[in-house]
Amino acid sequence: MKKKILIAFLLVTLPTFAADSQWVLKQSTLTYHVSHPLHESEGVSHAARGKGVCHDGQCDFLIAVAVKSFDSGDSNRDLHTIQVTRGAEFPLVTVRTRLPESAAGAQTIDADLQIQFAGQTAHYKQVLFKLEKQGDEIHITGTIPATLSDFKIEPPSLLTIPVKNEIPVRVDMTWRPQ
Amino acid sequence: MLRNRFGNRPGALPCGLAIWLLLQLVPSLMAQTAGMGVLTGKVVDSSGNPVANATVTVTSVDNGQARSATTGMDGSYRFDDLPLGNYRMKLEAAGFQTLEIPSATVDGTKPSVVDQKLQASAPTTIKPTVAQQDNLPNAPSSSTAPSLSDLGLTPEQTQGNPREQALLDKRTHMLKIHQRMGLITTIPLIATVVTSLNAGGKNTSTASRDLHTALGGLTGDLYCITAYYAIRAPRVPGTETRGPIRFHKIMAWIHGPGMIATPILGIMAFDQKNKGEKVHGIAQAHGPVAIVTAGAFGAALLSVSVKF
Repeated sequence: MKKKILIAFLLVTLPTFAADSQWVLKQSTLTYHVSHPLHESEGVSHAARGKGVCHDGQCDFLIAVAVKSFDSGDSNRDLHTIQVTRGAEFPLVTVRTRLPESAAGAQTIDADLQIQFAGQTAHYKQVLFKLEKQGDEIHITGTIPATLSDFKIEPPSLLTIPVKNEIPVRVDMTWRPQ
Repeated sequence: MLRNRFGNRPGALPCGLAIWLLLQLVPSLMAQTAGMGVLTGKVVDSSGNPVANATVTVTSVDNGQARSATTGMDGSYRFDDLPLGNYRMKLEAAGFQTLEIPSATVDGTKPSVVDQKLQASAPTTIKPTVAQQDNLPNAPSSSTAPSLSDLGLTPEQTQGNPREQALLDKRTHMLKIHQRMGLITTIPLIATVVTSLNAGGKNTSTASRDLHTALGGLTGDLYCITAYYAIRAPRVPGTETRGPIRFHKIMAWIHGPGMIATPILGIMAFDQKNKGEKVHGIAQAHGPVAIVTAGAFGAALLSVSVKF
């Protein structure tokens, strides 16, 4: 009898104790876009790492990607990008956000992002992302409307013409539960 | 000695001191604008070494507004124009325990200094209160938020390298000059090519040849300066040359020797012309070599300027 009570107690209380869940970034493609009257260039990174920890119905996410991991297909441009964004001094771009755990079932989310880049921290409010459930994984796509001035980056110039301030970053990520 | 410095007139020393004191106070007074204050400090590890790239977040106790800053290479941070009042502080850095300071006061009379020491170990597991969470809508909480070490990043991957940054800064500085000088060189280069039409052939004047020679000399000088800044720009170890810059460098192997050969052949042709001779021998190659050189220079310029 005591054994049955104990099992029943465990069955009732176990979900409460095991409420925390975690998400891991399985695959990612981050693409920044830079515009110049003579050039349109993009840099791509697949090297982002990310983790989400859920507790009390809220999930804290952290994504980090090395500035050096972005490849535009031009080594000179990439080195210049690292220099101008102070990528050797501040080697990581980090993105932090908090989302309700229930967002995993939504088709779109508006995320408030805290982005650290080039030694600066910028906050982006209500950035729209599309969610697509693929089995127990979630595929997320969206664009972060980043600008150079958000991070106090002096626009690099080519032939004395500076690039545009806007550097939208396309996000394509797949998260899986851990 | 001070008296000598400020002059021997009575009252000069106090006046000088007053100016000096005022100058010392000006930056502080400027920072302390009405209703605003400054919060600054330094973050170090347990050994006293500065912790760079740490995130310092201040949250107003009064209205819950939060601001963040990142420490520099010397571990220092600074918040300008903070509304006066009490703030909660949170210090986070990869590989260190998150530190929360319940209260720091910004009073506006002088910059508030909060120096802190971080302990290197696993992140803290202290759960924030509901109030703290409410004050930071959509901001990660310190208890559950993953840290950089949770992502498997090592301190080597998260810490900056100021030496490498300095190398990159120097490289960019020199290549910027290289780019500008290259553009400037293009002007006399084109002019030299254009004046070559009147410098060669049978019916040419000495003045035309002199102009062509002068422009060619100017082009050569500017080219040397341009080349110097490219050659002397520091190399970044482990970098593989990819993309248009590769073509740009290949072109340099054509226009570089060409810029040496062209004036030598030009001088030979110039001498032959001045002697009333027809340009002959190897000097005949001056024109074709110059055209190839100018073409390679133009191609090098365009390769890094326009996307094909």
